[in-house]
Amino acid sequence: MTPVLELRDLRVTYAGGHAAVRGVDLTLLPGQTLGLAGESGCGKSSLAMSVLRLLPKDAQVSGEILLDGEDTRAMSWGRLRAVRWASASIVFQGAMHALNPVRRVGTQIAEPMRLHASLPEDQVEARVAQLLAQVELPPEKARAYPHELSGGQKQRVMIAMALACGPRLVIADEPTTALDVIVQAQVLALVTRLVAEQGIGLVMISHDLSVLGSVCERLAVMYEGQVVELGSAPTVVHDPQHAHTKALAAAFPTVGDPASRYAPATTNPAGVPPKVVPRAGEPLLRTQALRVDFRQRGGGWMRAVNDVSLEVGRGEIVALVGQSGSGKTTLARTVLGLQQPSGGQVLYDGRPLPRGSRGLREYRREAQLVLQDPTSALNPRHTVYEAVAEGLRIHRMPGDERELVAAALEAAELRPAGRYMPVLPHRLSGGQRQRVVIAGALALRPRLLVADEPVASLDASVRGEILALLLRLRAELGLAALVITHDLGLAWNIADRVAVMYRGELVEVGEVEQVLLAPRHEYTQSLLAALPEVAPVT
Amino acid sequence: MTDSLAPVEESIAEVPPPSRGGGVVRYLLAKVGGAVMSVLMVVVLGFFLFRVMPGDPVSIMTRGRPVSGAQLEALRAQHGFDKPLLVQFWNYLVGLVHGDFGQSYAFNAPAGVIIGERLGPTLLLTGTATVLAAALGLWLGAKTGWHRNGPLDRGSSGVALVFWSIPPWWLGVVLLMIAGGVFPTGGMQSPDSPAAFFPHALDVAHHMVLPVFTLVLALYGQYQLVMRASLLEEMNSDYLTTARAKGLRDDLVRRRHALPNALLPTATLVFLHLGMVVSGAITVEAVYSWPGLGQLTAEALASKDLPLLQGIFIVLVIAVVVMNLFADLLLRVLDPRVRAS
Repeated sequence: MTPVLELRDLRVTYAGGHAAVRGVDLTLLPGQTLGLAGESGCGKSSLAMSVLRLLPKDAQVSGEILLDGEDTRAMSWGRLRAVRWASASIVFQGAMHALNPVRRVGTQIAEPMRLHASLPEDQVEARVAQLLAQVELPPEKARAYPHELSGGQKQRVMIAMALACGPRLVIADEPTTALDVIVQAQVLALVTRLVAEQGIGLVMISHDLSVLGSVCERLAVMYEGQVVELGSAPTVVHDPQHAHTKALAAAFPTVGDPASRYAPATTNPAGVPPKVVPRAGEPLLRTQALRVDFRQRGGGWMRAVNDVSLEVGRGEIVALVGQSGSGKTTLARTVLGLQQPSGGQVLYDGRPLPRGSRGLREYRREAQLVLQDPTSALNPRHTVYEAVAEGLRIHRMPGDERELVAAALEAAELRPAGRYMPVLPHRLSGGQRQRVVIAGALALRPRLLVADEPVASLDASVRGEILALLLRLRAELGLAALVITHDLGLAWNIADRVAVMYRGELVEVGEVEQVLLAPRHEYTQSLLAALPEVAPVT
Repeated sequence: MTDSLAPVEESIAEVPPPSRGGGVVRYLLAKVGGAVMSVLMVVVLGFFLFRVMPGDPVSIMTRGRPVSGAQLEALRAQHGFDKPLLVQFWNYLVGLVHGDFGQSYAFNAPAGVIIGERLGPTLLLTGTATVLAAALGLWLGAKTGWHRNGPLDRGSSGVALVFWSIPPWWLGVVLLMIAGGVFPTGGMQSPDSPAAFFPHALDVAHHMVLPVFTLVLALYGQYQLVMRASLLEEMNSDYLTTARAKGLRDDLVRRRHALPNALLPTATLVFLHLGMVVSGAITVEAVYSWPGLGQLTAEALASKDLPLLQGIFIVLVIAVVVMNLFADLLLRVLDPRVRAS
């Protein structure tokens, strides 16, 4: 049987000499599924793009890329265009941007069919409806524009589009990265079903081993442009051999595994501090029957936060989990005084939040925000020093500015601080950037951190380091934190208590062990059930 | 994995973004209302702005002629300058509603009529020039942006920048010297212009060549540069990779996917600019003695013809506001995302 895809000693080198892929051999038989795991920059996306020769012009590709036995590197442009999408199609990462915003999705799904003339024109529309039905979308969605669809729906449209010409190979590049746990589970189930039904070869790329393990038969782990481990999915996930695979597997903890409770994977010599029991007494932050309403277009009100009473004790880490649209970010904004509640109140240190701008400023010094994406949270033209010093200046913190900045950088474990001060953000890694954001918050000596998905945009190996840093800050400075996330593993890693939010309401609040191991509310149960599972080694 | 999900799956399905609401009529009313408000503000501003300008209008009217104090008083009374400012403003507003812009001092005729006569030639000149400049600029911008750093890009982007930065009147003077013998250099028609429609149109077209050419050169550069920049913004978009992966030819990727998106900011700019072009042609009209609003503005300024200036001011502002409105409406047609929000 001819493999659908065979790579022989594939190498990709970018202008400037950066070798993204350094000699990869892989074989995929028809109907097989292969997962390609690795961190950003390991070359997995370059590999995927090289299959259909979609790399930028400055990339040098050598070796053999056999698609159904035919080398795509040797194809003429005309032949290559004929092969693209008809033989192999791609589901791109972040369907948000991979769809043309000004064209209807039906037209975009139909485009490759019309182009490759795989169907007579009068059947195209029916086929689009059929494809949409396959990805469980109603046929009238064909007339929708991308912005009218949710993230999961867009990803379904991408999958429908990939199947349009009946390809023998589908390459899915991080198909679920931006999605919620539950939507991710739905999309993964869909991919698994369609690939099995239609006997398509699948190469799926992700940084999340458990996602790959739940869909693919085999896993290949890439590190610095090479495949360092290749084997059956359960073996690679449960019994990793290579050090890098071990790190990847440890980064996303299994909920319920006592070894990872209060112990995010970290290689930092400072390690993980012993568990700190939060002091009892009056909580640092308390919301009382908080309500937030938004006026909707065309009249009516939408209740984003409904009757939420939540407490964060001194030195306590509380995880607020829920899927997008559940109101958790609105709750965080209200807690920080960025959004006026429609009812109820927020108490900080036993007193209601000040309303005046002066009082709010003082409060915001004590309650600092850490955002999801450190790249966009930092001004690209401000040095690390400027980024950290800005808050000091706004709040006119007493003391020597340089010393305070240095102390904050040290606290965020950017050592020696002097080396980082003159650096611009783009010279830093993702993890270092997030440390700069945290340093900016720490410089003001806050008592509460509100962190919105603090590690969602970071690589697996960095994720553990940042989480361990949060734990150490709590142990050393007594910092309390409200961490907003859709990642239950994060809650298992560092939180003392979990609050589950669903449609604006808190449906379950309690100790981490109690909520995650013995969930009472149906929604919490379905959140846990949606976590990808890898079959045990057979 | 999914079985356990099934019971609540429906209830926890994602909430899709809110569908387009509001309706076209409401949107239109809001936009038109906003435009009317802007015009009203400008009418107010225009009136008082010209009142605080230095120079007594009556003494300007009588400049160079011996007049007695009593005659000046009579003139003041005739034009209503002796009344309180608010009363003058009220009379002015009432006049405007009836289409009366006041009496021009210099021409001794209704300002509205004079402006009306000059509006046509200006629209003809600037309209033609803008259409040509936009077509040339957008086409070149799309080409140069797509083949960035290619020979066409290197050559023409520099040239565009040069033309954009040259003052139009200077360009006009140079062109006049170079091609003055081949094409008419002044006015809109020959003194002996034939009366029949087609020969007359040909005569006007002949007169238009130089001023239109000047304006096109002065205008196309920024359209090209903006189009190029907005195409470059789109060049790295993921949906272009999708389109290539589908097997589209390079120029189909450009025409079908990149251009419609890159056009969005550019189209707005072209329309916004259209309103401004009317007033921007002042210097070019002056060079070619084109009988349009621009030349009229220069004359009215020279003679401090207050009602005429006010009238021109309002007409120019209305042009900008209306084109602004068009730009908003056009963007709504071109960009489905605007329709939703």
